[in-house]
Amino acid sequence: MIEHDRLARLLRDAVPPSTAQAPSRDLWPAVTSRGHSPVSWTWFDLGMAAAVVIVLSAFPDWLWLLAYHL
Amino acid sequence: MPDDLDGDLLDRFVQGDQAAFEGLFRQFETEVFRWILRIVRDRSAAEDVLVEAFWRAYRGRARFDPSRSFGAWMRRIATNAAIDHVKATRSQAGWRTADDTLRAPAGPDRAVAEAISVVFHSLPVRLRVVATLALIEDQPLAEIAEAMHLPIGTVKSRVFRAVRILRKELARLGIHP
Repeated sequence: MIEHDRLARLLRDAVPPSTAQAPSRDLWPAVTSRGHSPVSWTWFDLGMAAAVVIVLSAFPDWLWLLAYHL
Repeated sequence: MPDDLDGDLLDRFVQGDQAAFEGLFRQFETEVFRWILRIVRDRSAAEDVLVEAFWRAYRGRARFDPSRSFGAWMRRIATNAAIDHVKATRSQAGWRTADDTLRAPAGPDRAVAEAISVVFHSLPVRLRVVATLALIEDQPLAEIAEAMHLPIGTVKSRVFRAVRILRKELARLGIHP
């Protein structure tokens, strides 16, 4: 434990503990507007959408299968 | 965290009442902010994560049981949001603090501090977050376990593993804490 304490002391010298007490501004407006922010597409989403389009162009009959699952 | 909350406030929050949500936000924002800052270690990032955490809480309000502690539930959500942030910024050069109030020492100890900082930031995220809370921020293991939704034994084991890796890597650099 003493050894842990020594390492912890060194760590605290190198990476000091946080000191800020409160946010620098009122964040409530940001929380409420967060709900109205547009949905952002990730590369994964775009890839999935592209894959669905490609598969459906090759196999149009699968549209019914997709519709069933949706 | 204060948690002597009006049951009606929590019920209204679960039902989606925005005024109740704002009441909870006002009551818990500072505590949640401090907790997030302990993990992300950057004031501006902590503010962004705070917004994300409360938004996640509002989105997931139907899963909250009003008979339980809102503070503990909120802290778990905040911890997850903070860990997601640390993971997302992991590949960037500076997980180091951008908080001007946190300064590394100057003088001959600076090189040692730099080395320790670099080694510490190279720890895997799940070890680093636990080590940050336990060794740097001096948070009780039970609180860390609850916030991370982990058994306390797992938290102890992660601290132990983090310490072992730190010692090994520092020894390689000729530093023997």
